[in-house]
Amino acid sequence: MAAPMELYCWRGDHGLPSVDVDCLTVLAYAKFAGAPLKVHKITNPWRSPTGILPALKTREEGSFSQPSKIIIQLRKQKYNADYDLSAKEGADTLAFVSLLEEKLLPALIYTQWVDAKNYVDATRRWYAENIPFPLNFLLPNRMHGRQLERLRLVRGDPALEPGEQLEKELYQDALECMTLLSQRLGSHKFFFGDSPSSLDAYVFGHLAPILKIKLPNNKLQQHINSLENLRQFCNNILVLYFPSESRELPTRKVSPQAEGGDFDNEPHKRRNQILSVLFAVGAMLGYAVLSGIITIKHTHAQLEEPHIEEEEDEEEEE
Amino acid sequence: MSLAAEAFVSQMAAAEPWPENATLYQPLREHQILLSDCASSLAVQAYLRMCNLPVRVSCRANAEYMSPSGKVPFIHVGNQVVSELGPIVQFTKAKGHSLSDGLDDVQRAEMKAYMELVNNMLLTAELYIQWCDDTTSSEISRPRYSSPYSWPLNHILAYQKQWEVRRKMNAIGWAGKSLEQVYEDVSQCCQALSQRLGTQPYFFNKQPTELDALVFGHLFTILTTRLTSDELSEKIKSYSNLLSFCRRIEQTYFEEQDRDSQSGASHHSKGPSLI
Repeated sequence: MAAPMELYCWRGDHGLPSVDVDCLTVLAYAKFAGAPLKVHKITNPWRSPTGILPALKTREEGSFSQPSKIIIQLRKQKYNADYDLSAKEGADTLAFVSLLEEKLLPALIYTQWVDAKNYVDATRRWYAENIPFPLNFLLPNRMHGRQLERLRLVRGDPALEPGEQLEKELYQDALECMTLLSQRLGSHKFFFGDSPSSLDAYVFGHLAPILKIKLPNNKLQQHINSLENLRQFCNNILVLYFPSESRELPTRKVSPQAEGGDFDNEPHKRRNQILSVLFAVGAMLGYAVLSGIITIKHTHAQLEEPHIEEEEDEEEEE
Repeated sequence: MSLAAEAFVSQMAAAEPWPENATLYQPLREHQILLSDCASSLAVQAYLRMCNLPVRVSCRANAEYMSPSGKVPFIHVGNQVVSELGPIVQFTKAKGHSLSDGLDDVQRAEMKAYMELVNNMLLTAELYIQWCDDTTSSEISRPRYSSPYSWPLNHILAYQKQWEVRRKMNAIGWAGKSLEQVYEDVSQCCQALSQRLGTQPYFFNKQPTELDALVFGHLFTILTTRLTSDELSEKIKSYSNLLSFCRRIEQTYFEEQDRDSQSGASHHSKGPSLI
């Protein structure tokens, strides 16, 4: 209808169009509603029009950032994936989205950002590798702090620390939530009939990272793998609506099967190691020569002198 | 409560029947309690009445600090203390009283989802209106919240609570909303509840469940509380089936059991009334 809108989101990885929950939700909704969006996949949130990702930029009405606001804006432009829903289904949508936000999202935040091993080995590494210099030193820690703060405020406990007890409580809620979603979905293709709606976008946005992103401590992933219909649901959406992303996945899966992420880094690691050793040796030698610890010319002269002395001795002897 | 402690408590709970002297603690009714706490407390009272479990209501100024999780209301049963509706429902379930046993899996999923809808939208909207709206906050919330304490503690506690709630709103993305948008959200939430209720007497047809108790607690409190503007209660009044739902529960569970001389209309204030 109007001029094309632009959507800024986090880049994708692990077979997903984006690694961030909100970005996935918005991307999925846009595909379901058939909205023609120009998608910018970036890794620098400071380049987005609102400073955070995802962000929708429209010509007339400025920029919006939260998924709910973005979806409302798309609806205003007549891209509505919920057109066919009955009033009761619309009510169910609101209810299940609330369920996702209250029960599943805290566990997701915990597993990606607060759990120490996951954060250091997977999340921080991904963001540090992908955000451009020099923000990659600044942003991951800031995001970590913000997510921890959010978890503390949502739970109402200012002294919250990551720990086994908190983890068990959050995961229990999340596992129950996933089981409830699985029961509600049953054997249908989407939550409300044969065509996807905004609830499917929200569920996909929250479940796909759990399913696809590999973390060292992945209890949530184990549980979702046991819920066959939810796994089918996510893979279905990936194959139908994001075929370019899911096609990448099989080729990537073949190589790092044995050793995970390290294998990709190894060739570079070896080369970097050799280069750095050579550089260090060269620097040491250069310093030694320049400061006089090793003198090449003098040893060459010493070698000649005994030779001349020997000759003189020989001559003298004779 | 940690999981191990929860399991232990459930086991102990299952061992004893419901005692006669179970008590529910909430902040002072006349002068201290705020809209959101009153709603939560009424929801728990309604739930216990629906289960036919007797409980005495005791008002204390420091109820919030006595509570194990920092939130009111909490119940003291035997030698256990449980706070908030969710854990209380599980606790009564361990004792063998449950309202949602007759539901199948899909219905239970829907019930939990709608309960989260009320917590996510209605409760958050109540908190927003109480603490993030400057008029309400200065005229009603801060004076009431700090009324039992003397100067300077009352100022400190009131501002501390306000700051905490505002930070929470910031973290969940509600800080950028205007009051109009919040009223709009409440309206949407009520519309969803109204749609789900339809023409049935309760949300899951014949028998009330914890969802009915929760919805009743919030809606009734909003309807009977006077705030700086009537817009919030007007939003609810526009859905007639929600009004009759509240009236029905009030008549069935509160008036019959109390035998108080109250009229059937839910517009007259019953119990807590905030001025």
